[in-house]
Amino acid sequence: MSEPVATSSTSLIPNARQATRPLSPLNLAARRFRKHRMASVGLYLLGFLFVYITLGSLLSRGYCAPLKKDLTGEAYANCNDTSLKLQAPSREHIFGTDVIGRDIFARTIYGGQISVMIGISAAFVEVLLGALVGAVAAYYGGWVDSILMRITEAMLNIPSLFLLIIGARFFGGGLPSLNFFGRELTGSVIVIILIIGATSWMYLARIVRANILSLRERDYISASRALGASDARIIFAHLLPNTIAPLVVSATLGVASAIISEAYVSFLGLGVQGATATWGNMLDGAYQYLETAPWLWFFPGTLILLTVLGINFVGDGLRDALDPYSTRHV
Amino acid sequence: MKQNLYTFLTLVVLASMALSACGGKTAETPAAPAQPEAPSPTQSAAPESPTFSGTATITFTQEPDSLNPLYTTMFFSGITRDFWLKGMWSFDDDNNPVLELAAEVPSAENGGLSADGKTIVYKLRNDIFWSDGEPITADDFVFTYDMIMSDKNVVQSRYPYEDYVTGVTATDPKTVTVTFSEPFAAWLTTIFTYVLPKHVLQPVFETEGTLDNAAWNKAPTVGVGPFVFSEWESGSHLIFKANPNWIHPPKLEQVFIRIVPDDAAQEAAIIAGDTDIGVFLSSDQIEKLEAGGTVDVIAVASGYDEGWFLNVSPVNAHPAMLDPNVRKAIALATDRFTIVNDLLDPEINPVNSTYWDGTSPYGNPDLKPYPYDPEEAKRLLEAAGWVDSNGDGTRDKDGVELVLRYITNTRELRKNVQAVVVQQWSLVGIGAKLENYSSDVYWNGYNDGGPQAQGIYDIAEYSSVGSFPDPEASANFLCSEISGPENPDGANWQGLCDEELDALLMEQAVTLDVEKRIELYHQIGKLMYDKVYYIGMWLDPDLWSVNKRLQNVRLSGATPFWNVHEWTVTQ
Amino acid sequence: MTTYILRRLGQAVPQLFIISVILFALMQAFGDPVATLGARTPPKPEDKERLRRMLGLDQPAYMQYVTWLVGNDWQKLDMDGDGIAETPGQRKGILRGDWGNSLVTRRPVLEMIGERLPNTLILMITAEIIIIVFSLAIGLYSALRPYSLFDNIVTGLSFVGYSMPVFWLALSLMYLFAVNFRRWGLPYLPTVGMFDPAVGKTPAELIKHMILPVATLAIISIAGYSRFVRSSVLEVLSQDYIRTARAKGVRARWVVWRHALPNAALPFITLIGLDIPFLLAGAVVTERIFAWPGMGRLFIDHTERADFPMLMGILMLISIAVVIFQIITDVVYSLVDPRIRLE
Repeated sequence: MSEPVATSSTSLIPNARQATRPLSPLNLAARRFRKHRMASVGLYLLGFLFVYITLGSLLSRGYCAPLKKDLTGEAYANCNDTSLKLQAPSREHIFGTDVIGRDIFARTIYGGQISVMIGISAAFVEVLLGALVGAVAAYYGGWVDSILMRITEAMLNIPSLFLLIIGARFFGGGLPSLNFFGRELTGSVIVIILIIGATSWMYLARIVRANILSLRERDYISASRALGASDARIIFAHLLPNTIAPLVVSATLGVASAIISEAYVSFLGLGVQGATATWGNMLDGAYQYLETAPWLWFFPGTLILLTVLGINFVGDGLRDALDPYSTRHV
Repeated sequence: MKQNLYTFLTLVVLASMALSACGGKTAETPAAPAQPEAPSPTQSAAPESPTFSGTATITFTQEPDSLNPLYTTMFFSGITRDFWLKGMWSFDDDNNPVLELAAEVPSAENGGLSADGKTIVYKLRNDIFWSDGEPITADDFVFTYDMIMSDKNVVQSRYPYEDYVTGVTATDPKTVTVTFSEPFAAWLTTIFTYVLPKHVLQPVFETEGTLDNAAWNKAPTVGVGPFVFSEWESGSHLIFKANPNWIHPPKLEQVFIRIVPDDAAQEAAIIAGDTDIGVFLSSDQIEKLEAGGTVDVIAVASGYDEGWFLNVSPVNAHPAMLDPNVRKAIALATDRFTIVNDLLDPEINPVNSTYWDGTSPYGNPDLKPYPYDPEEAKRLLEAAGWVDSNGDGTRDKDGVELVLRYITNTRELRKNVQAVVVQQWSLVGIGAKLENYSSDVYWNGYNDGGPQAQGIYDIAEYSSVGSFPDPEASANFLCSEISGPENPDGANWQGLCDEELDALLMEQAVTLDVEKRIELYHQIGKLMYDKVYYIGMWLDPDLWSVNKRLQNVRLSGATPFWNVHEWTVTQ
Repeated sequence: MTTYILRRLGQAVPQLFIISVILFALMQAFGDPVATLGARTPPKPEDKERLRRMLGLDQPAYMQYVTWLVGNDWQKLDMDGDGIAETPGQRKGILRGDWGNSLVTRRPVLEMIGERLPNTLILMITAEIIIIVFSLAIGLYSALRPYSLFDNIVTGLSFVGYSMPVFWLALSLMYLFAVNFRRWGLPYLPTVGMFDPAVGKTPAELIKHMILPVATLAIISIAGYSRFVRSSVLEVLSQDYIRTARAKGVRARWVVWRHALPNAALPFITLIGLDIPFLLAGAVVTERIFAWPGMGRLFIDHTERADFPMLMGILMLISIAVVIFQIITDVVYSLVDPRIRLE
């Protein structure tokens, strides 16, 4: 039942001993990942989306009639011309225009940057909290476990919607705007990240804890302990790496679901405010036009879909790749 | 490999068996409504009036909190009373009173209004009965007043009884006399818009000591009107059945009200024909709703005007907001005409110039909306000392940037208007900081951090009205109502204190002469227009959808379903 | 085992107490219950002031909590605003079985929950069963034949479902199957509600009205769950004892059903165990769009008016359910996996 060496060396943190081997587990993982068809599709997809939301901004330029001047970048994305509202895709506006005549193509680019940033940041917060709480609780057991799990349970007892609303109440409108890579972000972006991250870690914590509870009993952990390894080392070098599969699955699903959560929060009227576009609030404004102006929801909706799909495919590939026993002959 | 296939097949079979219950029905049931059985002539119709037929279905986007008028001020509860709990009179589609329980509208001529304006005598009809057959008498009205004023009942509103009414007495079984501390101009629309059945509720009050928990609040099986309450399933629907005992028996057999909280879902239900009447539709959806040819969208003025309430408080407003010329410049820099033209419907939502334009005839017809004139706006701003001295595109003065806090709730249309306005302002060098609050937070009081009540804004946009069709809304503009730490419940959130305005508002409140009161409101409108305390955005009538199968529907602003007894359905 | 369960129940009491304190404290930031009263124009100032006094909202937060917890029938209240407390309190407090009255409807919280709970359970349990069955079937097959065409297609499709925001999916389904199917003369589904008033409350009507909301809930959830099943099964199938079993010549089907499944079920049971109590909370967005009169809507409607007795009632009910299901999950866990020690 115990397979100490192989399992413990799947660590993502390569150490000197492993690097000297001809084919490190990381190499093996990379090889497995490359063979994963869906993961490759996902990777291409994400690559394309990355180019879209970064280099795409070079294409965001045009004449803004109400201001009587040519604009580029985000200023063009925010230029509205109500006389051009709800125009179907055309040469000037390849994705059409929205209810107040803004260029949807430009808005999907700048909205995408915010949405992806929200997704990644929120998932980061989620994984950080979830892994830490789960691992510490399971490893130490006893009263530490009790306290952490009671907190987790208390959080789980509160439907996340309620937490989202509370969060928006506490922080909403209160946070100052933030300058982020030269862009002015309203405080609500930070609020959304924190709210989504802080309300989604509990399941991950439970899963990590459950996994480690069963790992804890294994021989190689007892052996490490007998050899005098520190608690931190056991947690970070042995236990967490061995729960990497659920961590990776949760983190990737986390990015994806944070992007969707953002749309969901927008639907409840608590989303990112002001002129800042996100895919979520673009979609929210569009749902009364399901039939009459499908381009309003089609483009942001499709971009959400592709991003989430891509992330999930890659996460799935990572899961298979990181599991040394995943072979294709099963 | 093969074994795996078996496993899979087993699972598929299991899964499909488990699902067959659901899936099978999917295939069959939709066919059922495809051949609509002619809505069966009711079996339950009372023998003496066999003419009730058909169901009108109405969607409400909010569920009433209570049906007992003591415990609700919700629009969607109030409008059900046109079915089952009539007041002294209703208002028709021209906002004229239509007598219901009263035999006449009190006036100086018929002796109903006393010369000093402090006594009003209501004569009741002789042929009115509660739906259970009990006669309606003046005692019911006295009881209603007592219940509103009782400290045992946690009633929602005592307006206007608490502040203005000194007593309600039953002079004889069919005469109600109301006395006032001072003449009360808004009496026509606010006094006895409903009456409670004393014979049902007094025993409850005596045994329980309060009406707060009365069963009648949720299931008012005794009422007075063309319909009578039948059923209320929480969160789902309410049903009112025809009441043959009412003076104007209805044609319909029942009214079915379904709670549909989502606007887009309501639109889908309207288009699909699953509902006959819906309300609070938006102008830009009219075309879509009427496209099928089965639905009419009707705009009904209920006094609401979308407008900007300017914070002119010396305590917390932007310093520029204290200068009437800057406020005027803001109005001139905003192209409301283009907004209305492109985002709404200029026929339904013309730009208004006063708070009372939607409450005809109280709006001042001589005033024209501030024009769009960015050049004049620039000139005014410069004359006031606001120039762009640091070249950042926004004007400033004494080191203060002209960046205004422009707040509203999270309604999509308002967010869009914000974005358009910000761009228009940028042309004259006015900057903006936009905030959107969910509606409940937006309306929170001073002690609960309400952004309006605390004055954390320069311009607040929303749609408002007085006691339609009465114009009374003085509290919002009186000096004594300014909200603050010492008056947390104050209704004046603009920090607006203008002695001339105060005097006019006080005077109109006690002016019973309608012509004179109209003249006073024209002066009030002009004063607020000249000093730019309020900038009108557009008239905001209620948009109703009515399916063409429903006939003779004449909706009104104050009591929308006043003629429900005339409604019929065609097959 | 019994000792364990009893001890967990004992722990639950302080836990629920702490949750109630936290929730009540958070509720204070929730807004003013008398800010709008649901009306189109805000109430008159003097009415607000009077309502706060009569509803006890002017009391300090800790007093309101004490009233909620143990009642106020031992003290007198000032109802008429003359500064003299003369009316005895009516509340008994949740510890004595009085969950309070809604500030919106003035009706007992438990009674209102009782009206909505059956509707929500019908919808949610049906959806949950469909989700479990589908995700088990899809997840298992995908795990047994990973990277096959079926796996790729089903995975792709389930991710498409998972990637759609729920309100968007729900409205799309409604427009397609309820609005457009009707327009095109095809058999169609109803848009909103639980039954058609012209037909009445029949089981057939109920099922018909349930199809779209259940489909919405299922489509967005199956992906996550089936991925979870697939991961767990793959994980187990790669373990030594499975290989050993195979090596010993045990039939593949037997290996899967007898060895792999029970072990792979472990995390799935956790997931479901954690999910079940939330079925009580309903589905906020789906219930809202399809006008389904369930708990989710009760919650969101009363959130909008800061009706804290109602919200506390709903949340405490869910909390109690969560606590109970966590104990059940742990017990089942230990039964399925002897490696887990319940101490």
